[in-house]
Amino acid sequence: MTRLEPIRIGWAPQRPAVYGHLSAAENVALFARLARLADPLGAATAVLGLVGLEKAEQRAAELSVGNQQRLNLALAFLGDPDVLLLDEPSASLDPAQTSRLWELLLARRATGRSALLATHSLEEASRLATRTMLLVDGSVVLEGGAAEIAAAMASS
Amino acid sequence: MSSIGLLLGKDLRRLVRSPLLLAALVLYPLLVALLVGLVVRYAGERPRVALVDEAGLPRSILLGNQRFDLDRLFSQASEVDLVRMSPERASHELGTGRVLAVLTIPEDFSVRLRGLHASPRLVLRTGSGALGTSVTEKMRALVYAINLKLQQAYIKANLGYVHLLRRGGSGTIGRSKLTVIGLDSAERELRAMQRSTDPSVSRPAGELADFVHQVNGAVGQVGEFLRATANPVQLVTTARPGRAWVLSAQVQAYAYALALAFVAVILGAATITAERDERTLGRLVQGLVGLGELVAEKIMLVALVGTAITLALAIGFGVVVEIGGVSGGQPWDRVPLLIPGFALASAAFGALGVLVGALARDAGAAMLLALLVGLPVVLAGVIPAGAFALADWLRAIVPFGHAVDLATSALFDPSPWGSVLRQSVWLLLIAVALAVLARIAARRLLA
Repeated sequence: MTRLEPIRIGWAPQRPAVYGHLSAAENVALFARLARLADPLGAATAVLGLVGLEKAEQRAAELSVGNQQRLNLALAFLGDPDVLLLDEPSASLDPAQTSRLWELLLARRATGRSALLATHSLEEASRLATRTMLLVDGSVVLEGGAAEIAAAMASS
Repeated sequence: MSSIGLLLGKDLRRLVRSPLLLAALVLYPLLVALLVGLVVRYAGERPRVALVDEAGLPRSILLGNQRFDLDRLFSQASEVDLVRMSPERASHELGTGRVLAVLTIPEDFSVRLRGLHASPRLVLRTGSGALGTSVTEKMRALVYAINLKLQQAYIKANLGYVHLLRRGGSGTIGRSKLTVIGLDSAERELRAMQRSTDPSVSRPAGELADFVHQVNGAVGQVGEFLRATANPVQLVTTARPGRAWVLSAQVQAYAYALALAFVAVILGAATITAERDERTLGRLVQGLVGLGELVAEKIMLVALVGTAITLALAIGFGVVVEIGGVSGGQPWDRVPLLIPGFALASAAFGALGVLVGALARDAGAAMLLALLVGLPVVLAGVIPAGAFALADWLRAIVPFGHAVDLATSALFDPSPWGSVLRQSVWLLLIAVALAVLARIAARRLLA
């Protein structure tokens, strides 16, 4: 019997899931250690650079909402997981940060790695998604490309 | 480092970075401990007892030429708070538990008391339960104290009769007035007759004089005999400077247990709820940390913090004891014995806190629930043994009483090992049981 390797999942809930009393760097380092990454501090530094979070020594609770979301995303990207689960990832980001996130996700998509996004932004869906599902009250009511969903929503 | 170690480090860092929270964790239980220590020390010392005076006792009474202030006699000798009331009100208050017993002075009490021949009776009616037994014991002490005073009066009165018999003169025995020659005068008269030249007078007079002399000598010993038979065993008490109540073994033990109870239950509830409120729980359980590990880590955190705080309290108490030059000093060599006990007690209370935190919907509800649960846990632990049918059982399943007994034994028992070991096993069992329940309840955190 073939033993399957576990899939590593990165997760970013809609509201940041971080320890407020720890600094951004401490948060990422802690989760890197808990994830048993080979070089936790190196991975932490890398992922903070990836999301462009500069105030890494500031306590998470004292960060702006946008920076807290960047920390939230940094924790999702930690260890370069196989799959990302992102809930409204750009909701608290300014346009520049949103562009940066999209570039990161597109780069990942180009390497064949998956991401599951929940978003209210059709633009975000159309830019990033290869498959799109429209959920109403938790049920899939439409599946297809973002353009089809946009057209369906416009006609309803 | 293990996952538990990493999370422990994270949680300890949170506490260190919140000095106000840390100060509150130390000072609040200390304050509560001192207040409860006061209550525990003095609660039940003077239980309220109704006094129904059917005899209409006067404020004072004359017994054997000695006047007694009865009001003062009852209030001074009493280990209970005697409150005069009517028979109806006394029955009602006994029924409602406002008084623990009713002491009735029957109508014939004064007559019997003055008569000096039949023992006057006091009638005690108690409520059901172990507290009634305690009141009965206190009332026995009251009756003993009154008897002691009355004995002295009776002995003094009886010695007055003896004095009259020996020295002669006029006096009263019971209600009879009489004039007697007295043994001293009788002997003198008989000695005078002994000197008679008539042998039929001098010989019996001499024999009678010798007999009267012997009787007089024997009667002279009556005072000592009366005192000896009245008090075959006497308790001689001497006052020795001891610990002030605030530093007593009992208050110290309660202070430690209270500090542990409040700190551990609240901290346990807060620390597990914080993981949910910060939404980090979802991140942790994605393969990083199991729920069982998380519960274990929270309990270990509380055990560490609880032990540190109570140890600090023990050292604080010790310093005050040493500075104050308190009799007996602080048993410093016993303090290390507290550490495993404190750790187990903290773990048991902490597991209860984690259970509460897992059951509550949010941090606010968890804190409220922690207080609501913590208080009965403390109170259940201070129920006196045998107070009611399930008291011993209830006391056994909550950690508080075991923590108090452990601290008392560890610090002040001459041979503490047996008790410390027994209470440690109890605390360990309670901690494990509560930890299992907390682990089961922790599933709710993911809902």
